Amino acid sequence: MARRHPAESRGRHGRAESPVPDAAVCVRGLVKTFGDFTAVGGIDVDVPRGQVFGFLGPNGSGKTTTIRMLTGSVAPTAGHAWVLGEEVTAHPERVRSRIGYMSQKFSLFEDLTVAENLRFYASIHGLEREVFEQRRAWILRMAGLEGREDELTRNLSVGWRQRLALGTATIHSPELLFLDEPTSGVDPVARRRFWDLLYELAEQGITLFVTTHYMDEATHCNRLAFINAGTLIALGTPTELRDSFGPGATLEDVFVGLEEQSRREP
Amino acid sequence: MSGSLDRIGAVVVKEFRHLFRDPRAIGIVLLMPVFQLLVFAYAISFDVTHLPTILVDNDHTPASREYLRQYSGSTLFEVVGYSDTQAGVIDAFQANRAQVGVIVPAGFGRQLASGAEGEVAVLIDGSEPTSAKVAQAYTTGLNLAAGQEVALAWADRQGASVSGLGGLEPRLRTWYNPERRSAIFLIPGLMVVIIAIVTVQQTAVSLVRERDLGTAEQLAVSPLRRIELMLGKLLPWTGLAFVDVAAIVVLAVWLFGVPLRGDLAVLGAGAALFVFCCLGMGLVISAVAPSMEVANIASLLLAFLPTFLLSGFVFPLDQIPAVLQWISALFPARYMVAISRGVFLKGSGWDELWPQFAALAAYAALALAAASVLYSRRSR
Repeated sequence: MARRHPAESRGRHGRAESPVPDAAVCVRGLVKTFGDFTAVGGIDVDVPRGQVFGFLGPNGSGKTTTIRMLTGSVAPTAGHAWVLGEEVTAHPERVRSRIGYMSQKFSLFEDLTVAENLRFYASIHGLEREVFEQRRAWILRMAGLEGREDELTRNLSVGWRQRLALGTATIHSPELLFLDEPTSGVDPVARRRFWDLLYELAEQGITLFVTTHYMDEATHCNRLAFINAGTLIALGTPTELRDSFGPGATLEDVFVGLEEQSRREP
Repeated sequence: MSGSLDRIGAVVVKEFRHLFRDPRAIGIVLLMPVFQLLVFAYAISFDVTHLPTILVDNDHTPASREYLRQYSGSTLFEVVGYSDTQAGVIDAFQANRAQVGVIVPAGFGRQLASGAEGEVAVLIDGSEPTSAKVAQAYTTGLNLAAGQEVALAWADRQGASVSGLGGLEPRLRTWYNPERRSAIFLIPGLMVVIIAIVTVQQTAVSLVRERDLGTAEQLAVSPLRRIELMLGKLLPWTGLAFVDVAAIVVLAVWLFGVPLRGDLAVLGAGAALFVFCCLGMGLVISAVAPSMEVANIASLLLAFLPTFLLSGFVFPLDQIPAVLQWISALFPARYMVAISRGVFLKGSGWDELWPQFAALAAYAALALAAASVLYSRRSR
């Protein structure tokens, strides 16, 4: 095993306080290396509560690794990550009951029915019966699956599976929801409908941390961070980023330009 | 704590739902043991009798007919045809119609009448060594007895007092399985094979499937701890393995008349340790295997084949090459086969079986430790 970075051991003991205690996510100098490969090379990000935060970057840029460190499923090599005010590496279990996570794989049990999937995730989160009934009704309505509770998940088309996955990821009413490329492989109509649901969640006060590589989705976010080769190369609102690049620029122009720039001067 | 039990319970319920949605899995867990039991107890038998036999009589005398009648009168041989030539016998071997050919040459009766040695030829199909060996033993025995009778008849005709003749006659008794039925030998070992198949493969595959689906990642972010997930996954298979064990014991004793001479508690304790070994092996496979196919093949290679071939279940361990004997010591099955056979057939207890128990306990501890190391390394 590799020797521990001093910052990590400090993190494990949970002594360090978050510099921004009321932020949904606060990241300082976060590093993850796999052998010689640096997946995430020391990033700093703050996400205030209640925002829709877009985390953008090409494939392999470190988006998923960052999310996995924030959800506590991968330990950082160095640096700190506070989620909802708790240091993740020190108290992953305190964080886990308050966050939700949805991956591009949708993470449903395909040989279980809609109702069985909901019941399983509800029991894992220890939901009370009345709370579960309420959440279940809301999710079925939200996903448009009322009356289809007993269908096998395998038989649902992609759009429904995606909305059901969103439902199971939020069954315990998390304060913060991580979405890792939740719309990949989904048709444009279902994507639009999915983003409507995300807005609905945001209106309820849930913070959303979304990775995507669709630029049209990026414009839906309150704030954006662009990561390339493990390094943050831009951070701001969509308008700020467009304006900084010149008149008439689209977000696409901004990111293509930034990526080329960062490749020229590493 | 109660939260923890609730979460484990949720996983157990989910696992049973998976099982009942998948007819193949039910087949493997509940029907395969019964099927194997029937196959091994009825169809596969090492008790060779009714060897198909071709008779060739080129002598056509009362003496040759008398000699050949001993083959048709025996249950060990079954006369399937007659021929006039050796070529006829070989043809029958080629066509798999016969495994034994007996040729009585012309002049056989004359030789016996003159007090000379009668000569017969016995041909055996050696393509199946087991039956060939048995056929050789049977024909040797039959000819020995027949030869003795011929000699006595001749001595009698010469006026010698036969009753005064000395001789040596061993009285053989076989212990533990007096009729030497192969079902009694096989069923206690079969139990071990079935436990290994149910537990190793199912635990390995069910954990890898979770990872393939991405649900493992989802669960890693939930309040469900890894140990809770593991326990929830392993408990159903442990339970089912014991259902299988109980079913096999009941069928073995009531249907196949396998004697249960020892203590059920000893057998149960051995089975529990062996199940832990298997679960550990399944977990190790699931930690290392990159896909479900690999997990399936690995459990076949590491669980099924060694249990089947290197446990003493079918092939006696002291008759396989030394290298294979050493390899067999690396797998837990041989110890469990010894325990199972010891308890069933010999009524053995702790005093006799403690080395096997120690080996199984050590194996279980090692396998579970290796699995937990591999799993904690994965999440780094």
